[in-house]
Amino acid sequence: MHPQGKNTNSARSRARAAIRNLSISNATEKRLAKTESKLKFLEEALRESQEQYRMLLDGIEDHAIFMMDSAGRIISWNAGAERIKGYRADEIIGRNFSCFFPSQDIERGRPEEILQIAAASGRHEEQGMRVRKDGSHFLANVTFTALRDSTGNLRGFSEFSHDLSESKEAEARYRGLLEAAPDAMVVVNQSGEIVLLNVQAEKQFGYRRDELLGQKVTNLIPVGFAERLVADGLRSAEDALAQQIGTGIELVARRKDSSEFPIELMLSPLESAEGILVTAAIRDISVRQRAAANLLQKVEELKRSNEELEQFASIASHDLQEPLRMVASYTQLLSRRYKGKLDSDADEFIAFAVDGASRMQRLIQDLLAYSRVGTRGSDLLDISSEDALRHALLNLRGAIEESSALVTHDPLPTVSADETQLVQLFQNLVGNAIKYQGPGVPKVHIAVTRGSGKKWTFSVQDNGLGIEPQYFEKIFGMFQRLHKREAFAGTGIGLAICKKIVEQHGGRISVDSKLGHGSTFRFALAESEKKS
Amino acid sequence: MTAIRETGMAIEVLLVEDSPGDVRLTQEAFRDANPSIHLHVASDGIEAMAFLRHEGTHVHAPRPDIILLDLNLPKMDGREVLAHIKEDGALKLIPTVILTTSDAEADIVKCYQLHANCYLKKPVQLDAFESLVKSINDFWQTKVALPPPTRGG
Repeated sequence: MHPQGKNTNSARSRARAAIRNLSISNATEKRLAKTESKLKFLEEALRESQEQYRMLLDGIEDHAIFMMDSAGRIISWNAGAERIKGYRADEIIGRNFSCFFPSQDIERGRPEEILQIAAASGRHEEQGMRVRKDGSHFLANVTFTALRDSTGNLRGFSEFSHDLSESKEAEARYRGLLEAAPDAMVVVNQSGEIVLLNVQAEKQFGYRRDELLGQKVTNLIPVGFAERLVADGLRSAEDALAQQIGTGIELVARRKDSSEFPIELMLSPLESAEGILVTAAIRDISVRQRAAANLLQKVEELKRSNEELEQFASIASHDLQEPLRMVASYTQLLSRRYKGKLDSDADEFIAFAVDGASRMQRLIQDLLAYSRVGTRGSDLLDISSEDALRHALLNLRGAIEESSALVTHDPLPTVSADETQLVQLFQNLVGNAIKYQGPGVPKVHIAVTRGSGKKWTFSVQDNGLGIEPQYFEKIFGMFQRLHKREAFAGTGIGLAICKKIVEQHGGRISVDSKLGHGSTFRFALAESEKKS
Repeated sequence: MTAIRETGMAIEVLLVEDSPGDVRLTQEAFRDANPSIHLHVASDGIEAMAFLRHEGTHVHAPRPDIILLDLNLPKMDGREVLAHIKEDGALKLIPTVILTTSDAEADIVKCYQLHANCYLKKPVQLDAFESLVKSINDFWQTKVALPPPTRGG
């Protein structure tokens, strides 16, 4: 430091001059030489100590430390001062420290006032706004100390200041964020003590803030927290950042009244002056858990009820079939053997019985088929849809021959489907196309186009009666029929089965038609996993 | 030596069936298909085995040329009857035809594993049933070559 250096130098030359002016003995000269070398050594030590002191001050970056003479002119400057206030040493040394004050403070003489107070009381500490070189303001914590020599004369002042915006504002912002959070937030230090919490935390756990500060977090979250804390302490900040909302772990928390509730816990490390702190966001998930459990239960119930219904349909259809087979067979036998042998009433009655029984049989068979689509599930394999169509046409051989229908198709692709169900689907659609016809040759064409999203869209087009638009949806419902029984026999289940099959395959079935101009049924199937 | 039968020769058929309605239908159908058939009826599995082993009232029962076996029977069901027949050296060569309303895959697999000679599903329609019985008659009585009966063997 220059002033001390100068003082030392002048003291030395004064001593030398005094020595020269004296006539002295050899012995005295020897002693003097010894003293001089001692002085040199001390001088060196002082210089070294000054250098260390300067390095020490320069090493402090978060505090501005500098000295002023008694009038407030700056005579030293450390790196922290340069960083906080924005001036380099060569720009500021020699200037008055009042340049750090806002203009209104300068106008009312605040800088001089501070120096007076510091001089009078030895030390003055305050928080106040300061101005950086670029004109920006910041809140600083400043300590002035009066420097006096051994005789008590005022030599100057030291100023020690700290930018509070770097800590206070950040902390205030952090606290604001904490309070605004919808979750309970608790900040914990490495020994598991609560150092900060928000109002949600007070509410959720039923404690007052002061009852929790300094307490162990295990009072709130007995099990699992400490383990997470350790894990989070070891995790890198990047890993912590990568932990997204919703990936928290579920634990049990305890309120002041000892009642427990389920929570979701998210932890993130926070570096601070007091070491690594951990911010814990704690969400009460009892409502969510209840809702989830409730939903799960409802899903289970629905599944069971569906299964029971399908089982019932299957068993009922099967068990109904047996006695019905007897009724149908024997009324048919009656009709065959005794037709024309009894009176005309008897013939008519028997005919109604035969018709009723055979309709009932078809109904039961269709119901059985419908329920099987559900109970058997879909065994999705890569199969040739062309083979499935061929199989369906074979099953329809009788109807095709009888109506002289012309059934044509595009080359059909390999699809991911349940083979039995796909055969049934084609059979029902082509069967309908042949069945619902006016006079003339039924023409049916099965085409396929590449749909979006790895799907094939199949269409079954006919030249039949067509359907009015208001029935486009309705025809896929259970027992829905558009024609009198005398015109077209049927149970009204065929298209419902088609719909169920297509939906079982994750698709939709639809119809496009104009009355008198035929119909086109469309459905999509997923393409084969393997490239075909 | 040859088992292909001359027409007019009496053929013994054992029908194992618990439903009287089905028994009568089968009788009617066989009567139309082949009047020379002697249809014997056992209404449960125990009776069927007694008939085949000439036990109790069945001491004089003939060895059937073919067995028509329903699966769902009281006391001893058709699968057990089938197992007993195919384990019995004296009986296992008798063609055993499963005739049932079940089309469950598990039943079909099980019956063939137990060496049923064929598995037929009872058609729902009378016409189809009659035609099936006719087919059974045609196939097993006139088309198939069988080893000579090993009576008591």
